[in-house]
Parts: sequence; structure tokens; C-alpha cells
Amino acid sequence: MTIHLKYWKQDGPDAQGYFEEKTLDTVNEHMSFLEMLDVLNEELQLEGKDPVEFDYDCREGICGSCNLVINGQAHGPNAKTACCQLHMRTYNDGDHITIEPPRAAAFPVIKDLVVDRSGFDRIIEAGGYVSVKTGSAQEANSTPIEKHSSDMAFDYATCIGCGACVAACPNASASLFTGAKIAHLNKMPQGEVERYDRVVAMVDQMKEEGFGDCSNYGECEAVCPQGISISAIAEMRRDYVKAMFS
Amino acid sequence: MKLDGKIPEGPLEQKWSLHKKNMKLVAPNNRRKYEVIIVGTGLAGGAAAASLAEMGYKVKSFCIQDSARRAHSIAAQGGINAAKNYPNDGDSVWRLFYDTIKGGDYRSREANVYRLAEVANNIIDQAVAQGVPFAREYSGLLANRSFGGAQVSRTFYARGQTGQQLLLGAYQAMMRQVQEGGVEYFPRHEMLEVVIIDGKARGIITRDLVSGEIVRHEADAVVLATGGYGNVFYLSTNAKNSNVTAAWRAHKKGALFANPCYVQVHPTCIPVSGDYQSKLTLMSESLRNDGRVWVPRKKGDDRHPNDIPDEERYYYLEERYPSFGNLVPRDVASRNAKLVCDEGLGVGETGLAVYLDFRDAIKRDGLDTISAKYGNLFDMYHNIAGENPYKQPMKIYPAVHYTMGGLWVDYNLMTNVPGLFATGEANFSDHGANRLGASALMQGLSDGYFVLPATIGNYLADEEIGKRYGTDHAEFEKAAGEAQAQIDKLLSIKGKRTIVDFHRTLGKIVWDNIGIARNAEDLKKAIKEIQELREEFWTNVYVPGEKNNYNKYLEFAGRVADFFELAELMAKDALDREESCGCHLREEYQSEEGEAIRNDEDFSYVAAWEYQGVNGELKEQLHKENLEFEFVELKQRSYK
Amino acid sequence: MPSLKQALSSQVGRKIMTGITGIGLMLFLIGHLGGNLTIFGTADAFNIYTKTLMDLGPLLYVIEAGLAFFFLYHTVLGVSIWLGRRKARPQGYDTYKTKGGTSHQSLASRSMIISGSVMFIFLILHIIHFKFGADYTTMIDGEQARDLRKLVIEEFQKTWVVIGYVFVLVLAILHLSHGFWSAFTSLGMKHGETSKKVQLAAYAFGIILMLGFIFIPVYIYITGGEGSLISY
Ligand SMILES: Cc1cc2nc3c(=O)[nH]c(=O)nc-3n(C[C@H](O)[C@H](O)[C@H](O)COP(=O)(O)OP(=O)(O)OC[C@H]3O[C@@H](n4cnc5c(N)ncnc54)[C@H](O)[C@@H]3O)c2cc1C
Ligand code: HEM
Ligand code: HEM
Ligand code: SF4
Ligand code: F3S
Ligand code: FES
Repeated sequence: MTIHLKYWKQDGPDAQGYFEEKTLDTVNEHMSFLEMLDVLNEELQLEGKDPVEFDYDCREGICGSCNLVINGQAHGPNAKTACCQLHMRTYNDGDHITIEPPRAAAFPVIKDLVVDRSGFDRIIEAGGYVSVKTGSAQEANSTPIEKHSSDMAFDYATCIGCGACVAACPNASASLFTGAKIAHLNKMPQGEVERYDRVVAMVDQMKEEGFGDCSNYGECEAVCPQGISISAIAEMRRDYVKAMFS
Repeated sequence: MKLDGKIPEGPLEQKWSLHKKNMKLVAPNNRRKYEVIIVGTGLAGGAAAASLAEMGYKVKSFCIQDSARRAHSIAAQGGINAAKNYPNDGDSVWRLFYDTIKGGDYRSREANVYRLAEVANNIIDQAVAQGVPFAREYSGLLANRSFGGAQVSRTFYARGQTGQQLLLGAYQAMMRQVQEGGVEYFPRHEMLEVVIIDGKARGIITRDLVSGEIVRHEADAVVLATGGYGNVFYLSTNAKNSNVTAAWRAHKKGALFANPCYVQVHPTCIPVSGDYQSKLTLMSESLRNDGRVWVPRKKGDDRHPNDIPDEERYYYLEERYPSFGNLVPRDVASRNAKLVCDEGLGVGETGLAVYLDFRDAIKRDGLDTISAKYGNLFDMYHNIAGENPYKQPMKIYPAVHYTMGGLWVDYNLMTNVPGLFATGEANFSDHGANRLGASALMQGLSDGYFVLPATIGNYLADEEIGKRYGTDHAEFEKAAGEAQAQIDKLLSIKGKRTIVDFHRTLGKIVWDNIGIARNAEDLKKAIKEIQELREEFWTNVYVPGEKNNYNKYLEFAGRVADFFELAELMAKDALDREESCGCHLREEYQSEEGEAIRNDEDFSYVAAWEYQGVNGELKEQLHKENLEFEFVELKQRSYK
Repeated sequence: MPSLKQALSSQVGRKIMTGITGIGLMLFLIGHLGGNLTIFGTADAFNIYTKTLMDLGPLLYVIEAGLAFFFLYHTVLGVSIWLGRRKARPQGYDTYKTKGGTSHQSLASRSMIISGSVMFIFLILHIIHFKFGADYTTMIDGEQARDLRKLVIEEFQKTWVVIGYVFVLVLAILHLSHGFWSAFTSLGMKHGETSKKVQLAAYAFGIILMLGFIFIPVYIYITGGEGSLISY
């Protein structure tokens, strides 16, 4: 099938970006979206042009590297699907597709569609861990955890750190990402000891990184490839309030 | 060169503890004066960085991805083994050890494997303490399942995302050390060379993938935790950035590369659908617990699978292996899928697929039960293949999944180059000729959390504190020059074929000849083809873009260049090993029923290769480390 | 434990405060509507109500100051959150589309700043209009009191006033139909069944409350201040 592409090009963080357009005639419905971009890049190279850079690694929807905004939607139109798992059969012959990088001050563009998401790492650095020294752990079954809480913690723990929540949030807020890690750890007894320090430090770091406030738009949940619920944000707020009185 | 595995004396059960007792220690106040470079932030690298920094060493951590959390380990689905024996089904450290040795077809070191089985329990404790949300029973205690045909339930899991959860645990522990200043963290940096001064590894050269700058880093020891090389096949279940570059460049500087031909092919992957395909997706092995594998009996039967009656279906695994049936080990399942497809019975557009059918399971247990067990896998299949596995059989085919070969290391995980360590999938150490399910995560974490932190101290204790040669030392100069020269060369060729085109062609040669089954004739042919293609690569590749900017194609060009050399070594190794063992099936050495025949008399060794240059042809010298089996008896594997 | 200043300036603290002030304002509105509806009671009811308020004396000032603080704090936060998004995303998208599904992006949620700002301007005018409007007087229980009832009825004879009020009140429906739900979410409400019910309640709340308000000017206008609900 034929697809008309319009994609963002930008040479570097400080360069002026612009859109480029190209029509691909050899798109196959079984291709993944990223494979379609591979095909685009092969064609561009054969024409002696520079390929368009985009981030990826696992191509299985788990590493969180890919993060394209496709026709205005983070990861494209399908719910709970990272764009590496999006297939061209979602589109029709002759469709026009616009591809942009996630746009946020905290995610500066490195090149074309590749952005710097190290702000997320620094949020984790601020407190997204349990301080346990290697080798000093007690026997694993000495602390039973109610299955229900453990399952819930798991739901939050599945965040892949892709940043789609930030990309889609009208405020470019990182609340879902941050809330998911806080909720994961604070739901488990292991995370209990540091829970209040953690929430305060991580919430402060979000702001430090230049992410926006959360206005409860809930768009983040809708685009999240792991379907993480905005209850994560509620958990974060509750813990923050408790931290004030702890 | 005499290869010394440095296996400690003493009874098997006590080797590791005695060794730990006898090892030299570095005093806590001196640890911060030692710097350790760790390349890779997967389970092996991430766990090591966190642990060493906690102990007080200064760590520099590198990875290719934009964040340590994205290392390839994240993709592991099934689980991690440990002989906790929570289900009380007779498991023990010995049994886990024995299964792993046997599973590896007696081509690994007893002492290493025993240590792995022993340390596994601590890994679970450690991960739980970090908040890894493993599956639990209603009692609140940890749940186990049986995996990969094991007769006991010893696999710990976190839904289908065990690797992700374990990696995030290690990543978070590492980020805590970044915050505390123990780890200096370099994401989007690719290591290109090791720097060896006075015979010892003293640093690395990296390329900053954003600015393109070539950077020099000096340290007292270097750890390579850079994962496996399955991507030499172009199509594999590995992440796209997985590569052999770090290990290969170390190899070219003198580190031995062991057993390169041991490559595991996973039987249940989604088949290739066309040329544009960029990677293969694994469907969890657990599907074989309920799915039945078959092909039509008649060649070219193009009826819809649901219209083919039972008597015209060939349930080949059930017929050939009545006692294990669909649950035969990975290598056996993969080989048989290839056999039936080679006979022309394969299905799908390419004829390279077999059916995995849940019709009977759904009839027996009901749709709800099957969907509760495999729902997410079915959805994933549906999404990728565009067919509904509840309504028609899945199509599956084997795909390259894991590489048992890697840098040769001794019991301390040190290569033959002093100060250069290799951990995780990057080394060759614990899985012999075949890896059992749920044991790679175990090995990566055992190396990273428990083994390396102990053994690296033993090495550093003998090193002069704070000794620095300076990064303008001639060896740094030379290595940086080499890295730069290769980049310049690649960019200057400006040929007509793209990197992907070369890589795909190489992958096909490797898959066809050094894949599931090998024979001398094909291997010799492959060596020639690889050499020719490599020549062409160096004169006709087109590498776009510039060196001082983010340029993924340039990164890949360098990696493909290394794959070209590795591929030739794999073929040489496979040719040299005139026996069948584990995943290495030489067609000349099989029984009449197509079963692998091992030759313990002549091949019970680790093949460790020493690089001697490439000039049209790759020159390598073979060194053998003989495998002694004191504690287990060697047997022919049989799953009939 | 974070310091109060740290807490209030954190993204969580800011949002919790928009929620608290928003809820406070909603409570005020409920009370205000209740009070306003006394205009349909006995002839003196409305003026008795306003007089009672005014008789509170200094206490009234305290309440008014509190109310003003809530309004201003709410406004400052709302505007600052809105300004923040510019900073957090200096370059916008060429194409942007909501993914639908569980998203709470809607006309209401996206226009909070507009509905809020209009309400802010309205408020200033509204207070000038009534609180500082024509000072008619009347007698209640032998005491002189302000005849606000007369003023209200008189003002709502003017077409442009009524159109203006109705316009603002319709915007207020939008503000509340997201705001009511959002405030609970800001205060830590989790998602799931309760949240869905709260969202329904938010629509109901916004619509009912504002229909209540709208009814006053519209009824007075249509009946020319002499409708059967209005007793003399
Ligand atoms: C789909 C899939 C499912 C699997 N499921 C299971 C399972 O259920 N159970 C199990 O036990 N095993 C499983 N495995 C195997 C297991 O995941 C891997 O073997 C293991 O995670 C490897 O870990 P590692 O730390 O050695 O290396 P990796 O996780 O591969 O990490 C390598 C690291 O090295 C870095 N790196 C590489 N080269 C360079 C360089 N030149 N410069 C800088 N950095 C570099 C990379 O950035 C990365 O951080 C699975 C594998 C796959 C593909
Ligand atoms: C009687 C008047 C008002 C009421 C009852 C009211 C109510 C609310 C409520 C309940 C919320 C939700 C709070 C939350 O999400 O936590 C809200 C949000 C908001 N209000 Fe108001 N409000 C009023 C006046 C105003 C005014 C005068 C402004 C001025 C601009 C304003 C601007 C906003 C904005 C911008 C938001 C969204 C905040 C965000 O994006 O997070 N509101 N309002
Ligand atoms: C049609 C509906 C309304 C009528 C008839 C009405 C009437 C009045 C009157 C008569 C007063 C003066 C009270 C006094 O001075 O004691 C007043 C004050 C006020 N009104 Fe309204 N009002 C209406 C709608 C609103 C709305 C929608 C809001 C909020 C958004 C609002 C907010 C206020 C405020 C804040 C005051 C000042 C209170 C004080 O200072 O004590 N009103 N209103
Ligand atoms: S919360 Fe969801 S959208 Fe946000 S980073 Fe995590 S996985 Fe991506
Ligand atoms: S979309 Fe943005 S506003 Fe909050 S609820 Fe999600 S972070
Ligand atoms: S490439 Fe890993 S999630 Fe898409």
C-alpha cells in the first residue's frame, strides 16, 4: 500500500527543526510501524539522503525506547500498544501520517525524532529504589505480601519509561511515570521505610526537570502502552499528604 | 597458552565458600581508591555496578541505550530459576546443578554450574528485598511454576515480565548509587576498544553517541557485561542494539573467545513474514504445555488448518517423542521443526512455519481457562500476526535466541587478560552447549550481585592503589586512534549497498549454514561466502551521515563489521567440533533417528580461540580447556 | 517531612490546593444559590437573608476575606498551572489528538482556563454590580436595610445583563463538570467505579447548580419581575 509520510527533522538540540515529506509505495500491512520507517530509511539512503533518526531497541513493546507521536497521538492510535508493536494494517492505502518527537522542555530533541529522556532517570535516582545492600537481604519468604497488593504493585511496576505520558499530556507532566514508581514501591512492605522521603524527593525532582503540573487530564493513562492507571497519581498525592504529617 | 580455569580445590559443595574464604580482600577505606569500568547495564552489568559501588568502589557504568533501564535483559519473559524448594517437590541445589549440567549436554564446568545453583537462592532474596513484585500465592508467599520441561517447580516469575522486573530492580539499585556518587553513569556511550597496558586491562575507549566524541576512560579493572551476539543472524529475538562489538574488540586485543558456535534457537517464535522484517518475537515456551505442534501430512496442503482432519495432521513431536511429546527441550523442538519444513511440510506463505494448535486444549479446559493462562500471549500474537489464535492455530518457527558462547573466563570471571572480566551472556561460562529456560537471568544476576563483587576484590588487592598511567599514555592514544580510524574508514567508503542489506545477507548465510543444523560442506561454503561478503562490505557499504552527530547507522556499521568476523569464527568453531552436542547439531554425527551423538572422548573441551588477524581470511588459534567431570556421570540425553 | 513552603510549591501541593480552594468555592456556590433562591420566598425573605449576613459585622469581613483569599489563591494557581504548560512544552505539536478511551480530555477540561478567566472577570463585575450597586433601602422588622431584592429584579430586566449572566453560568457548568471530578482526583481519589460515579456526579452537580443560578435571571426577565413565584 501507499503511505504519505510527513516527519520531523532536526539536526541537533539547538537547530531549527522542520518537516520533510515522502511517499512510500512499498508498505506492507504486516510491517510494524518501525519497520515501515526502516524501509523509509533504506529508500532515503539509496537516494543518498540522510535517514531519519528514531529510537528503538527491543521492538517488543517492553524496553520503552520507542516513543513517536503519530498523527498527534503518542504511540499511535491503538490503546495499550507501543509504536513498535503498531502494525501497518491499522492504516489504509493512501493514508497521510505525521510523525513528531515527543515535545517537552524536559525532553530536548537530540536529533530528528530522538529525544533525551534522562530526566526520568534522575527522577528514579531521587528515590525510586529500596535501599538494600547486596547480600544483606533476608530470606525471601519471611515477609508474606497479600496477593492483591502484590498484584497491584505489579500493575504499577510495569511502566516501561517510554515517556508517552509526558508526550501526550497537555501540560507535559511526568506525574504518571513518577506516580507509577512511587505506587509500586509504596504498595510493598519493602518500600515502606523510605516511603515518605521517596515521594517528596521524587515529586521535587519532577519539577526540577521542568515537567509541567498535572491537571488530571487523564490522557497519560489513555496513551500508556502498559495501561497504567492514573490511580498511580492519586497514590502519589496521598503519600505526599501523609508525608507532610509524618 | 595453557588455559587455567582456576577452579578451587575441595568438594563441589564447598568450592565457592572455601574460595571466598581464601580470597584476598580490599580494605573498605581503600576501595574508593579503585575504579572499575562496567560496560553494560543489563542484569549482569547493572547488578555489578550497584553492588560494587555499595561496597565502596568507584564505578563507571556505560550503556548504549538512553537509559540503563532499557538493556536487553528487560525483554526476558518466562522466569528465573532457584532451588528454594518452596513447593516441596524434592528440589535441591544439587538437582538444579545436575539439570543445568545435563541440559548443557555436559559441556560446562561443574564448579561454575554448582556455584550458580548455590547462589540462585540469594538472588531471589535480593530481588524480593528490592521490591521486585514476583508472583505470589493467596497465602502471600512466593509462587513457582515449572518451566522448560523441568520436573520440579522452581521458576520464579513476574507475569510474563520477569526480566523487566529484575532489571528494574538492578537499575534502581544502580541509580541509587548514581545519586550517592558511587557510580558515574554514561548512557548513550558505546565502548569501542579496551586499552591494555603492561598486559593488564586499564581502560576503554568509548564513543559518545550524541556528540560522536571519542572518549578515553582509565580504571583499575574493566568488566564487560555486554550481552550476547545473537544478532549476527540479523533476525533474532535479541533487541536491535545487542551486539558483539565490546567482546569482539576485546578478543582482538587478546581475550579468548570460547565456543562461538553454541547458539540457542528457541522453538516458539512468530515466523518471518517478509524481507522488511527487523526482528523476531518470542512466544513464551509455556505455550507448549497446552498447544499441540503439527504440520499437514501432505506436501503443499493449502487448506485452511481448521479444515484439515486429524488423520491428515502430523503431530510430529508427539509421534517421535512419545514420553516428552510437545515438551521436549528447546534444541530438540527446534531441530524437528526445521526437519519437517525441510521435508516440504511447512505451512504459511514461506513454508517456514508449523502450527501450534490450542483447539484441543480449549475443548478440554474451556476458553476461559486457556485465556486466563495465555491471554496476553494470544493478544500479542494476534496483534503481530493479525490472526486470532483462539480460532485458528498459531504459526510458529524457531528463532535465534541466546548465545552460550562468549569470552572465555576462569572461575573468577576473569578473561585471560588480567583485569578484564566478562559476565552474563557475554561470557561463555555456565550453560555449556545448551541453556535451560529461566537460567540466563539467574546467571546474569549471580555474576553481577554475588560472584564478581567477591572475585574482583581478589584481583584488585594485588594492584597498586591509585596507579594511573594517564589517558594520554601511548596505549590510549593508539586505541583511540584505532577507534577513530575505523569510523573514518566506514564513512569514507560511500558505496552502493546499505548496512542493513549487508547485515541481512550475512544473517541469511549464518542462519542457513550455522543455524539449527550444520555440516562440514555447508560450513566451508559459508566461510567462503562470509569472506567474500566481508570484502564487499569494506568496499561497497554506504554509511550515511556524519561522525560528530547522533548517527545510528554509523553505530550499526561498526557492529556489522564485527559480526562479519565473528561469523567466520562461528563457522570455524562449528567445523572444528566434529560431534553433535546440545544446540550444535552436526548432521554427520547423528543417529539414524536423527538424534545428536556426542563424542566425549575427543570433544569434552571448551574451544577457546585466540585472534591472530584478518587478511581476507580470519586467523584464529584454538586452545582447549578440558572439562573434567568428577561429580556427575556423562550420559547421552534422551527424550524418547 | 517537607516544609510547608516546599509542600505548597510542589506540583502535588499546588494541585491539592486548587482542589481544596475549588471545593471551597463550590461550597460557597451552593450556599450562595440557596441564599439567592430566597428571592422566590416571601417578600422580605431575600432582604432578610442579606441583612442577616451584613449584621454579622466584622465576622462577615473575615468570611469575605477568606472567600477572597480562596478565589485569589485558586485563580493564581489555575493561571500559574496554565502558564506552566507553555514552559513545559515550548514547542507545540503540528497535529495533536486525544486518544479517547479513558482520557478525561474534553471541552470542559481543556477550557478550564477560559471558563475560569471569564468567571473571574464576571466576579469583579458582579460584585461591583450588586455589592457596590445602587443602594436602595427598605424596612425590615422596623430596621433600615438594603433592598437588594429590588436591585436584583431591576438589573435582571436588562437584556444584556441576563445574556451576560447566562453566558457565564453556562461556562461555569463546563468549569464544574470537570472541576468537581478533578478536585477529588487532586485530593487522592483513585480510579475505577467511584471515579466514574464522581464524574457523573460532577456533570449533575454542574448542571443542576447552574440551572439553579440561571433560573433566577431568566425567570425574572421573562416575567418582568412579576411572575407568580415572586411574591410582594
Ligand atoms: C525474548 C527473550 C526472552 C528471554 N527470556 C528469558 C527467561 O525467561 N529467562 C531467562 O533466564 N533468560 C531469558 N532470556 C535470556 C536473557 O534475557 C539474557 O540472556 C540476559 O538478560 C542477558 O543479560 P546480560 O546482562 O548478560 O546482557 P544484556 O541484558 O544483553 O545487556 C547488555 C548491555 O550491554 C550494553 N552494551 C552492549 N555492547 C556495548 C558496547 N559496545 N558499549 C557499551 N555498552 C554496550 C547494552 O547497552 C546493554 O546495557 C530471554 C531472552 C530473550 C531475547
Ligand atoms: C466559583 C468559582 C470557581 C469554582 C467553583 C471553581 C472550581 C474549580 C474546581 C473544583 C476545580 C478543580 C480543581 C482541581 O482540579 O483540583 C477548578 C480548576 C480550575 N479552576 Fe476553578 N473554580 C472557580 C473559579 C475559577 C476562577 C475565577 C479561575 C480563574 C482563572 C479558575 C481557574 C481554574 C483553572 C485554570 C482550573 C484548572 C486547574 C488545573 O489545570 O489543574 N477557576 N476550579
Ligand atoms: C444569578 C445568579 C446570582 C445572583 C442573583 C447573585 C446575587 C448576588 C448578590 C445580590 C450579591 C451581593 C450580596 C451582598 O452584597 O451581600 C452577590 C455577591 C456575590 N456573588 Fe453572586 N449572584 C449570582 C451568581 C453568582 C455566581 C455564579 C458567583 C460565582 C461565580 C457569584 C459570586 C458572588 C460573590 C463572590 C459575591 C460577593 C460575596 C460577598 O462579598 O459577600 N454570584 N451575589
Ligand atoms: S507511565 Fe506509561 S506512558 Fe508513562 S513512561 Fe510509563 S509506560 Fe510510558
Ligand atoms: S495527561 Fe497530564 S494532566 Fe495529569 S492526568 Fe495525565 S499527567
Ligand atoms: S522498541 Fe522497545 S518498546 Fe518499542
